[in-house]
Amino acid sequence: MRQPDSLRVDQRAEAGPYLSVSNLVVKFPSEDGIVNAVEGVNFSVTRGKTLAIVGESGSGKSVTALAIMGLVNRKSAKVTGEVWLDGEELVEKPDSGIRKLRGNKMAMIFQDPMSSLHPFYRVGAQLSEAARTHRKISKKAAREEAIEMLSRVGIPAPRRRVDDYPHQLSGGMRQRVMIAMALINSPALLIADEPTTALDVTVQAQIIDLIGQLQSEFNTAVVIITHDLGIVADIADEVAVMYAGRIVEHASTERLYASPEMPYTLGLLASIPRMDRETNRLDPIRGNPPSPLRHPDGCVFHPRCKYTDRVPNRACFEVRPELLESERNHLVRCHIPAEERRRIATSVLGAGTGGGAAIATAGAGGTGPAAPVGGPA
Amino acid sequence: MAAYIFRRVLLMITLLFMLSVAVFFLFNMLPGDPARLTCGKACTPDLIEANRKRLGYDQPVLVQYQNFVGGIFFGRTFSADSPEPIKCEAPCLGYSFSRHEEVMSLITRAAPVTFWLAVGAFIIWLTVGISLGIFAALRRGRWQDRLTLGISLVGYSMPSFFIGLILYYFVVIQWKLLDKPEYVSPFEDLGKFLATMILPWIVLAVLYAAFYMRLTRNQVLEVLNDDYVRTARAKGLPERTVVVKHALRAGLTPIVTSAGLDLAGLLGGAIISENIFNLPGLGSLAVDSITKSDLPIITGLTLLTASLIIVANLVVDLLYAVIDPRVRLT
Amino acid sequence: MVRTRTWSLRAAAGLCITSVMLTACSGNTPASQAPGSSTGVTPTTGGEATPDTGGAKPGGTIFVLTQAEQWDQVDPQRVYTGEDLAFFGGTIMRALTAYKFSPDATEGTSLVPDMATDLGTATDAGKTWSFTLRDGLTWQDGSEVTCDDIKYGVSRTFATTVINQGPTYAIQYLDIPGPSDADTKAGYLSSYHGPYDKDNAAGQAAFDKAVVCDGKTITFHLNAAHGDFNYTVTLGFGAVPKAADTGETYGTVAPYVMSNGPYKVESYTTGNGGKMTLVRNENWNADSDPYRKAYPDKWEVQFGIDPKILDQRIMEGSGDDATAIQYGQIQPENLGVIFQDTETTNADFEGRAISGFDPYSRYYWIDVNKVKNVKIRQAMAVALDREAIRLNIGGAFAGDFADGAIKPNIGADYAPTGLWDSFFGKEIPNTGDTELAKQLIQESGEPAPTLTFNFADTPTNQKTAAIIIDSLGKAGITVKPAAIEPGQYYSVVFDAKKAGDFGTGGWGADWPNASTVIPPLFTQKGGWDLAKLDDASVNAAVDAAFAELDRGKQAADWQAINKQSAEQMWHIPTFFGLSQTIAGPKVGPIYRWSAYGSWPYGEMYVKE
Repeated sequence: MRQPDSLRVDQRAEAGPYLSVSNLVVKFPSEDGIVNAVEGVNFSVTRGKTLAIVGESGSGKSVTALAIMGLVNRKSAKVTGEVWLDGEELVEKPDSGIRKLRGNKMAMIFQDPMSSLHPFYRVGAQLSEAARTHRKISKKAAREEAIEMLSRVGIPAPRRRVDDYPHQLSGGMRQRVMIAMALINSPALLIADEPTTALDVTVQAQIIDLIGQLQSEFNTAVVIITHDLGIVADIADEVAVMYAGRIVEHASTERLYASPEMPYTLGLLASIPRMDRETNRLDPIRGNPPSPLRHPDGCVFHPRCKYTDRVPNRACFEVRPELLESERNHLVRCHIPAEERRRIATSVLGAGTGGGAAIATAGAGGTGPAAPVGGPA
Repeated sequence: MAAYIFRRVLLMITLLFMLSVAVFFLFNMLPGDPARLTCGKACTPDLIEANRKRLGYDQPVLVQYQNFVGGIFFGRTFSADSPEPIKCEAPCLGYSFSRHEEVMSLITRAAPVTFWLAVGAFIIWLTVGISLGIFAALRRGRWQDRLTLGISLVGYSMPSFFIGLILYYFVVIQWKLLDKPEYVSPFEDLGKFLATMILPWIVLAVLYAAFYMRLTRNQVLEVLNDDYVRTARAKGLPERTVVVKHALRAGLTPIVTSAGLDLAGLLGGAIISENIFNLPGLGSLAVDSITKSDLPIITGLTLLTASLIIVANLVVDLLYAVIDPRVRLT
Repeated sequence: MVRTRTWSLRAAAGLCITSVMLTACSGNTPASQAPGSSTGVTPTTGGEATPDTGGAKPGGTIFVLTQAEQWDQVDPQRVYTGEDLAFFGGTIMRALTAYKFSPDATEGTSLVPDMATDLGTATDAGKTWSFTLRDGLTWQDGSEVTCDDIKYGVSRTFATTVINQGPTYAIQYLDIPGPSDADTKAGYLSSYHGPYDKDNAAGQAAFDKAVVCDGKTITFHLNAAHGDFNYTVTLGFGAVPKAADTGETYGTVAPYVMSNGPYKVESYTTGNGGKMTLVRNENWNADSDPYRKAYPDKWEVQFGIDPKILDQRIMEGSGDDATAIQYGQIQPENLGVIFQDTETTNADFEGRAISGFDPYSRYYWIDVNKVKNVKIRQAMAVALDREAIRLNIGGAFAGDFADGAIKPNIGADYAPTGLWDSFFGKEIPNTGDTELAKQLIQESGEPAPTLTFNFADTPTNQKTAAIIIDSLGKAGITVKPAAIEPGQYYSVVFDAKKAGDFGTGGWGADWPNASTVIPPLFTQKGGWDLAKLDDASVNAAVDAAFAELDRGKQAADWQAINKQSAEQMWHIPTFFGLSQTIAGPKVGPIYRWSAYGSWPYGEMYVKE
């Protein structure tokens, strides 16, 4: 369904979200059947804000990001729904049109900076290439910009490093280069797909800090994709939890950490080691995510859910739950009644619930989860 | 770099030395009697024995080897009893008594032919193979891809001698589009040279082009899925730049290796093409010498081919370092 | 094999000459069933045997196309291959005597004078032979061919350290003392060391006594009576002017061979694309040479041509290939296209292709020291499925079944031995007689043996080996195959330690006298005694035959030994080889010259 034209004008407005995704569906036909990677995702991000998309591998979070960037091969995948970037719809846009936006208005950094940088070209060349693709500037100017960017992402002696090959840099440095490359054209949207997963633990926080710092400098809308709830607590304004191609819970970071409701989110939170909790027991979620070729009937999470008995009429097994507002700006996709959900959360997370003391969040105001635009998910 | 090359050259010389020993002793261990080959139909044991002495085959293999190596550095004299003994100047790889010619002059005569044959075919097969491979990869799964793959399968499975004979039969004998192949140097008569070489080039190139087409296609498909290609796309680069500058550059390295070694192998002689198109190259020289068990020529050619392959290996390694900055030559 | 087949079918379709399509294609020329010349001596000389000399006229170029990369030898003392002897003999190398050009097998092996005025005079009961040179014999530089030039040529044969691979009859027959141990050690086969050793006065004196020049008369003194010495002088007795001799490289490098025939060598390159070009020798005096016709202006030999392409070029026969002749054999897959059977060509190739005896007899040698019992050897022969083996090597086109060592094309020395018809009291089928073989093994009083079979490792031979294993196996004889690299074959099987019990072999006569067949095969003389036979009575019989000056009686002697060889099964005779060759449409005459099993080069011409 198309958005009415009148709304477009709204979205160009300063205050409106810079990126708005509605009912995004991505399917990959394969020899074994259709892979349902993303099954109707809705969210939006405003400039200066950060959305974290959290989920296990295979939950569709990376495909969502690639679909936004137009990096999903349209010959092999079927993408439907709408992606609005700064007032432009991208799903229907021809490749050439999206290409002009990539690296320009929206940029992306990837999980493994080693393999994501071209091994045969000097970092300076790779940076200036990004600049020169979208702007008519001289090689010399682009090189100067590259050096400037390297310096801004905290690479020491950038004038020397600019002529290094990626393999001559450390892992953290490489990711800094990736970030510099992503930000060289001052994009308003930065998507970071597991930006710290491949890095040393000690470097992870530095990179997250760097992203946060640059975000405020550039006033960027940031989407961080991660499987690790712990890493985004400091930086994200909102968190959307994805499972089997769907968002199952979406709330402000503060709210989500303080009072999660969906049992899957509970499981994710319970598996984060926390100093402030008495029980030091890690409680991983049993079982494996479903095959994207065949999602289970009912709630897609039911085979792994411990609380299906709290719902009458076998609804968990037979009826697909909707993503519904539990409280204001807190969306949950679960059949368990809200009261019962909160009780379960308290019992699982114990004393920490409600306090959120250990989790510092940067003010929760401003952006809330977008209500489904195109009707029920 | 210089130190590296120096070391590699040293290694090469050592390898060649070891190889020459191996070739020499191996051929001497063969059950045949090289002396017998020097005497015709009515051979008496005395005559064989006499010839064995005359050619030095009665001496210990070690002494024979010494003479051989000595010849390379200082030259040798053959058939000293003859009114005009044969002075084989250094570097002397030996003298073929069945061809009445020095091995070195046989090789230097045949080498340019094989060189032009191999290089011409090389250029054709690389151009055709790589461009078709990229074409097919970019249209993966579509009819253009399937057609290209099909053609390459045909090219790949058609034996060279079959293609060669068919081309010769129709183009030269039946339709008389070209004159009978007769090798001339390109510096002498370029037109005739091209007219002679075009068919053998095609015959050689078909097989290799088919192989390189598949290799390139698979390489490109593989690197197109690589992370840095995704990064290049994420930067907003045009697809052309993504494929040519980012994907191909990385995908070509195995092709360079393959091409270097294939070219070196061909420089040792392309037997079938040379024979069908009557080209006096190293391949036909090798076949003829092996059939006749002409030891000096076989030894010389084996050493030459081995040197070519060793040199090609070195060149490929150096090229690798140029293409891929991660490769350090130490 | 399948691929080869495909090619031949394509070729056939292209040329439109399969027998099925014959009528549709040829239209004007119905296939005339011209019978092969049935002289009785050469029952299978096929194709157009009658020379069409009507078209003979001077001029043009004849192209000789060959798969070979070079001539084996280009030196009067070293040329030793039938076709080469025929080619050089017909063009640039004259001898004292030569064979008559004739399509008739007997006439073609009869002797005519060449440089000599007649066929030589034997005195001293055949131990001394004299030849007188014609007037007007010249070298290509205009100088006279002298008796000394011939004597010098003959002397070169003795320089075995320089001149090798050639015939050695001069050393064997001339009355010169044999080598001392020191001579042998130095690589010489005689006490005379040839013209290059300057410190061999005694040897030189002996040679000067054995070969005497008196004006235009050259006299040879032999160590024994040789009634056929005037045939011997066709082999390795050619003239070489001393001043032109370069030893090892004589003939192969410029200025090449000094010619005394109607042509001279203009250029010679070897390998693929190599050529030898012969042009007219202006100093050749036709009056001194009634033997050679010298029709074409030029000969061009082209080396290193792929055999399949060679066939196709001559079959197509257009352009230069119209006057091309094949040196070598037609590829098996084209035989059916060119011939109806071994005696008849298809209409499109009428008068262009010939099928006839090549010089060789094929056999399986048996080492009589390893397989001592004659009954076992006979059992091997009787059990053999010769039909299947012949089919494997090409069927009837490959050869006739042989009944002994001597081949019918040799002329008078051949007589049927009755080996397969009557010797065993019954006819032995070509497919073998397993029962008789078993019976012979029983009669031998020995257990059925296990034998090793040697063969040159080629695909055809591998199949042959399988047939032998199978057919001998049926009679209870176990055969173990032992393949040998083709290039190494003879050097292995001549080494008794390395050789197996039996193996493949072949031999051709040097001239139409079984003296060049029986002695080399079954005595230590001549060095092709693969049977390793050294039997006193056989040696005595051979010596007696040598000494017999009456050619008729001598023939009977050879026939007797030949019969004995078959009965005693010193080797199993298998095939008298046939071969097929083709020429372009504008060259003649088309017949197989029985002297060398070759083209009659000396009288070939380009047609209108």
